[in-house]
Amino acid sequence: MSNRNVAVSKKRYKADRADIVIVGNGIAGLTAAVEARRLAPDASIVIITAQSHPTINTPALKQFAIGKLTQEQLLAYPAGTELAQRIHVINAYVEGINAQEKFLSLEGGKGFGYGSLLLATGSKATGLPQSVPGSNFDGVITLHCLEDYLDLRRRLPEVDDAVVIGGGAHAIETVMGLLHLGIHVHWLLRGKTCLSRILDTPASEMVLENIRHAGATVYTETEIQGIVGRVGSVIGVVTNHDQMIPCQLVATCTGTTPVTTLAEQCSIPIMQKHGILVDDQLRTSTRDNYAAGAVAALKNPQTGAHETRPLWHAGVLQGRTAAAMMTYHEELATQSFGVPWHATHLGDLCMLAVGDLHKMTDDLMTLTDSSKKSYRRMSFIGDRLVSYLSLGPTQPDSLAIKRIIDEGLSILDIQKDLLKGNFDARKYFSRQQSHAARTLITSGKLPTVHWIHSSTPVSRPVVISPTTSHKMPALPKTDGSLAIPVLRPATNVASTKLGPHTEPLHDAVPLTNERSQQPDTEEILPFTGKLPAFSEQIIDTQAVPAPTPQDSRRGLQSYSTKLPTVSGRQTTPGKRPPLRMTTGQFKVIGG
Amino acid sequence: MLKPVMLHKTGMQVAQEVQACIGCNECLLACPALAEPITIDVLNHVTLGGSIPAAVARFARSCYQCGACVSPCPVGLHRDAMMMWLKVRLLHAEE
Repeated sequence: MSNRNVAVSKKRYKADRADIVIVGNGIAGLTAAVEARRLAPDASIVIITAQSHPTINTPALKQFAIGKLTQEQLLAYPAGTELAQRIHVINAYVEGINAQEKFLSLEGGKGFGYGSLLLATGSKATGLPQSVPGSNFDGVITLHCLEDYLDLRRRLPEVDDAVVIGGGAHAIETVMGLLHLGIHVHWLLRGKTCLSRILDTPASEMVLENIRHAGATVYTETEIQGIVGRVGSVIGVVTNHDQMIPCQLVATCTGTTPVTTLAEQCSIPIMQKHGILVDDQLRTSTRDNYAAGAVAALKNPQTGAHETRPLWHAGVLQGRTAAAMMTYHEELATQSFGVPWHATHLGDLCMLAVGDLHKMTDDLMTLTDSSKKSYRRMSFIGDRLVSYLSLGPTQPDSLAIKRIIDEGLSILDIQKDLLKGNFDARKYFSRQQSHAARTLITSGKLPTVHWIHSSTPVSRPVVISPTTSHKMPALPKTDGSLAIPVLRPATNVASTKLGPHTEPLHDAVPLTNERSQQPDTEEILPFTGKLPAFSEQIIDTQAVPAPTPQDSRRGLQSYSTKLPTVSGRQTTPGKRPPLRMTTGQFKVIGG
Repeated sequence: MLKPVMLHKTGMQVAQEVQACIGCNECLLACPALAEPITIDVLNHVTLGGSIPAAVARFARSCYQCGACVSPCPVGLHRDAMMMWLKVRLLHAEE
């Protein structure tokens, strides 16, 4: 390459560069982009995706398949969000990562530079092995993405009998969807039970019975041996019991695997094991590279094992955390993601599974209850809940139960209610908040605040006054009023921190950023209607302003009843040291 | 002395629930008060913040907290609580 060409090439790389580059426009990717825009109004943000449609609610594809939703109703964010938030979307396939020079290789030989990189490449369906005879017949489909479901919808008018393969929640939801359309469904399970990673035998039996009752024919310990076709189209399947099941459709729902192809094409190896290994701040083993969503393997706080969480809620939370990290707001990314959580409908049954349901230790107590046409199993150590499984006609307050496990709250008073399915989360947490407020008033001491283990942000970036940044002074006894420490809105935090490190895209279009322009907000108790009074004895505290009529754009977090942050970790601008993985732990090296 | 207050759901809890919403639309399909097309993505984002479109405002006023939206939710979320927060936002916007 001539010197001129090199110069041209470098110039192009310089122009095609963004502070934050996100590969993948699934929910983790787009959430990260939107959140990064809120935290860093001046940063250039680019999503590179090979996907041909905007971000959709993938769990809602089942409703789309049976015609309950239109394609437009699948959108995860209102149409035009990317444009309004100045998020540049490039439709291209990323072939590799040069981690030293910090640029991506796109198809066609183009490069694209980045300041921080988020890999949100998601997962792909496992599908039928190619070795299964007839797996390439027309009518053999794998259900995973929008294209698959569009394909399914086109085929449904021609289908009277369908075979569904797989033993997980995805397969059950597919079975129920097809039954809803009046299609006779043959459900093939490899094992004796369904959802074997979550359900025990009684719970599995309950689900299987429910599916049978709904009209499906269930085949346990049955595997597909081959697919029979006629002139290229499926007409039936042959099982390992030498049974022929006539059908016009074979739907494979046998799970997913993370898409780590790009991570494998990195100039510095990115550590992987059942996904891209990340720490609680979603850092990979390579500097300035993060991973989120179904491709990221996080440490399970209960088992210590790294595992992916290909679930919607996890993708949202991880997207927010990744955004906080990439915009140098590490103080917003200090909380762990907590235990795994899965809630869904399995036919007429609501299933909730929280925590490590397979944990077996000597001090673990397990109780089960199968009253009221439902089943619950809860495991606990002492007064701390470890896992909770619920199957029944109603869904418990699922996030509240996750919170109880994540925060290690005592279940002494609610053990029976949890077991019997009578747990009233609103009453429980309301009582806790009242208790915390009373403690504060009568003792003058701040109660221990157990943050919810998610990265729910404040309505806009805040910095803590240096005088209160590390330790909150004990509150003196007052006449029943609360004092709230000052939370000072950051003045363009992003531009000051990202300034020397970044350079905006040349074609960035300045558009209104509605969220970032929200008025300054503080925290109040909306249902009391009264605001706490100010105690002048407390240094650097002040009364919280009452909501004004002009606050029509007040964000939700402004109404939160949580106590304000009383300590903050100083964010160090500039580059972060790389991480090295040793025996399952990340260690900071260099720096 | 502060009186104990029975909160419907705290702001943080509602924000978490919005984040956990999978967009299946079951809550809106079950709603007897919904009289015009509103998509779940818009409703979720307006619940969290930003200006409230007229159609969403009408819907929020129409909601009478019957709770029909709760049981259809596959993931056990409480749209009624989210609507309550939207009502509060609307009240402040109208003041």
